[in-house]
Amino acid sequence: MRILVVEDEPHLLRSLAKALREEGYAVDTAAAGDDGLFKAESYDYDAIVLDVMLPGMDGWQLLERLRRRKPTPVLMLTARDAPRDRVRGLDTGADDYLVKPFDLSELLARIRALIRRGAGKPWPRIEIRDIVIDVKSRTVTRAGQPVWLTAREYAILEYLAYHRGEVVTRTALYEHLMDESDDTLSNLVDVHVFGIRKKLGADLIATRRGHGYCIEI
Amino acid sequence: MLVKSIRWRMQLWQAFLLVCILTGFGATAYKLHRSQRFGQIDEDLGRRVATLSEDVRSSFPLRPPPGPPPLEPEPGFDPGRRMEFGQGFGPPPRRPPEERGPRRPPENPFEPRDVQLSAESSSLFSSVEPDDFYYAIWSRSGVLLTRSTNAPPDLTLPDRADGDVRIRTRTRGVCREAYHFTELGECVLSGRSIRADLDAIQRLAGLLVLAGGAVLMLGLWGGWLLAGRALRPVEVIGAAASRISAGNLAERIDIAETDSELGRLARVLNSTFARLEASFATQQQFVADASHELRTPIAVLIAEAQATLVRPREAGEYRATLDTCLETAQRMRRLTEQLLQLARLDTGQEVFECHLCDLAETARTAVERVRPLASERGIAIECNLTRAEANADPERIGQVVVNLLSNAIRFNRQHGVIRVRSGAENGAAFLSVADTGIGIAEADFEHIFDRFYRGDSARTHASGGTGLGLAISRAIVAAHGGSIAVSSRAGEGSEFVVQLPTTNSP
Repeated sequence: MRILVVEDEPHLLRSLAKALREEGYAVDTAAAGDDGLFKAESYDYDAIVLDVMLPGMDGWQLLERLRRRKPTPVLMLTARDAPRDRVRGLDTGADDYLVKPFDLSELLARIRALIRRGAGKPWPRIEIRDIVIDVKSRTVTRAGQPVWLTAREYAILEYLAYHRGEVVTRTALYEHLMDESDDTLSNLVDVHVFGIRKKLGADLIATRRGHGYCIEI
Repeated sequence: MLVKSIRWRMQLWQAFLLVCILTGFGATAYKLHRSQRFGQIDEDLGRRVATLSEDVRSSFPLRPPPGPPPLEPEPGFDPGRRMEFGQGFGPPPRRPPEERGPRRPPENPFEPRDVQLSAESSSLFSSVEPDDFYYAIWSRSGVLLTRSTNAPPDLTLPDRADGDVRIRTRTRGVCREAYHFTELGECVLSGRSIRADLDAIQRLAGLLVLAGGAVLMLGLWGGWLLAGRALRPVEVIGAAASRISAGNLAERIDIAETDSELGRLARVLNSTFARLEASFATQQQFVADASHELRTPIAVLIAEAQATLVRPREAGEYRATLDTCLETAQRMRRLTEQLLQLARLDTGQEVFECHLCDLAETARTAVERVRPLASERGIAIECNLTRAEANADPERIGQVVVNLLSNAIRFNRQHGVIRVRSGAENGAAFLSVADTGIGIAEADFEHIFDRFYRGDSARTHASGGTGLGLAISRAIVAAHGGSIAVSSRAGEGSEFVVQLPTTNSP
């Protein structure tokens, strides 16, 4: 999952990015509104964490312009807690709203919920035959037995599971799982998929030659 | 309680006025009617008296020649009457023929005994009704010569005023009488009962009271309605005003009649609400900004600490986290101090220790304080300081200068220059800080002294600024009775000039 964080306070931006990366997300950052809008329009993020008070273009404007083109789930982050600010945020098209100072675990939970809803899977457990993916604790079990996956393997599995029945191209996987600071090595995804197949069974992920990967329904 | 309502007060005043007017009007009408009625009666009586007097004169054609009155009074004459009859008394007139028998024997041989009534008089006194006109004639000596049959039995000879030959009137019981003393002293009286007239006047008075009461009621009812109508807009305005003050300040009173007094009142209220709304909006903006500025560092502290504590880390990572926390806490301290200082300045609680000091000296100290920061960015500070004496608190003014210098460093270009000047001009001390930085965008120009206002350039260039520095600087300078001005050219730099009065206590 790839997330964009738009926040002008550098310390907060840094700790948010760090916390999200440690949760296994690919994280892009922007410190100004215009930069944030450019990135938000350029990539299909799975979620955007958006501060309201921004130089260049404030969060409202950014959201309004983004909504003309993309339905990316947006969590507004702001120090304004007047009801009319919250109403305005939700009316402008924000999907969720969190007032600073916030609890980091609450922010992470809200982001998970946003991504689930964005994928049309509001239940935090995904079951594929005897395989159960717990999105909350980021654990996978096979026939009740826990299976240990690397962060990348888990991320690929989760993304494919969220898009079960669809063919997900390699490019899409790169875009959603690697952030702007990652080196893109084209065969890396294949290596991770190989690892997943080894741990969870070869028939879980099907390869569509020339298209990409797919977890069939 | 009732009297507190304007409507009731208006009603009471109206009632008072109406009662006054009606009473005055009724009393006047009553008096006019009465006097007119009595005038009519008196005129009738007077005409009869005049006719009778003519009769008396013609009955006694021999008039005494004018001359001094005889010294000798008539025998048997009442001494009190002497003067009365002394006047115009002359030689005895010829005795007239007696047509009607005298009621009393004559006491004076010169007295006429009887009076010949003319046809006119007879017709005037034709009626024998007790309420109609009656007459009586007395001789010079006060002897009743003749009287009509319907004259009341208690008729008395009127008093005679000295030398008065006019027809006079009197009211005796229910009788109105006119009388006249002829030149020779005979008294002619005519009268009639005015019982019916008095009754009529009484009725009129009753009618007036009734009509007055009715008019009063009608007036009060109309006044009550009118007062209600006149006060309804006031009620509407009041209700709207209380609705606005209770809730939405953005609402306005609907001004239907713009030119009336109430329209003016509504306009005044509306402009008051507008000012209140603006001031509330400023206040709300400030609170929102302050909460944003205070919450953001708290958010940093919490996020940083929580993100770090998720799992065990290397010592270097903890160190970095602590550095961030410390830096953030210091920023919060700075912000809190500035907010408190602003609050003190706003409420006039900030203490200034003013004395005559040299702004050049203050500027020099400030420059030395920021020089390390400037040289870090390769910025040169050029000083051109001449003596500038002002009555000021050097510490607070120093704070202003440090603030201006910090801005000049923050917004300067790499290897830029800051020029600091001071001096005296037009009886005021001035201190100027000019930079060669990015300048101030036109859109930001009028807002740079606003609290928490930071232009976009300030946000991107100046992390660490609180957005309160210029607001505080202006408040401090204003408290000294001075002014702070700014001029700027985008891309070339800005110049801030502080002017302080030389001799003036803040």
